[in-house]
Amino acid sequence: MTNEVLLQLLAAFLFTMGMLVVLMRRDTIMILMGIELLLNAANLSMVAFSKAHHMIDGQMQVFFVITIAAAESAIGLSILVNLYRNFGSIKTQSATTLKG
Amino acid sequence: MSPVLLILVVISAILAITMLFAKNPITSALCLLGILIMTAGMYGMIGEHMVATIQLVVYAGAIMVLFIFSIMLLNLNTEERDYKDKPALFATALALGFAAFAGFGLAIWNHFQAGDVVAKGKFSPEMIKTLGGNSKVLSHSLFTQFYVSFEVISLALLIAVVGAVVLAKRKFD
Repeated sequence: MTNEVLLQLLAAFLFTMGMLVVLMRRDTIMILMGIELLLNAANLSMVAFSKAHHMIDGQMQVFFVITIAAAESAIGLSILVNLYRNFGSIKTQSATTLKG
Repeated sequence: MSPVLLILVVISAILAITMLFAKNPITSALCLLGILIMTAGMYGMIGEHMVATIQLVVYAGAIMVLFIFSIMLLNLNTEERDYKDKPALFATALALGFAAFAGFGLAIWNHFQAGDVVAKGKFSPEMIKTLGGNSKVLSHSLFTQFYVSFEVISLALLIAVVGAVVLAKRKFD
């Protein structure tokens, strides 16, 4: 097994774990962390493939993904703080204002 | 396959499992921090020094500090904070996860069995060495070929800053 296969398998595993975190946990903060893990797994896959194919497009893409992840977590966490202020809880089932 | 890379891979896989099953969000946050640092190590080992640095500074530094800071700020009680799993949901999600991982594994296997389906680019390790190293090549590309994306991303960051301030200041009724 070469380094490339190992890194791709790890990226797939981390992506699966991130997906399970988003699906199974009920805290908004855990869901946000799961999204970070998903982005990280995708980044790892892109860099490994790009390196294996002697390109640099994957690395450039990863810069932009990291920037967007930073912006996303800043916005997400301020929404989270507002959620806690208004509902007194960060569980997803407590925010049911839009539910008919 | 390099043994050090294998160690990094195994540690980050264990940390990912711990993150999924941890009761306390702060444990999960520290596991995620560990995964990000391990990933930075892997980037460094395959020769992507620029991406490794950005990963350490922005991801493991800034973003995770923000996460741990908000967990501390909310200061949830034990009832609110701890994770209680429902067995039925748990089993379904794990089965789904297994299926997804098997699918990914199959796709990776097929890709590497097929051999070189994509033509190799011109940035071979020797070429990058001639051009002055990984960081120089990436920075040059960032300010020439990708300069429009670079400007757009700065605009996106500005919008995120304004949005975060507005969301944090406003009182919703």
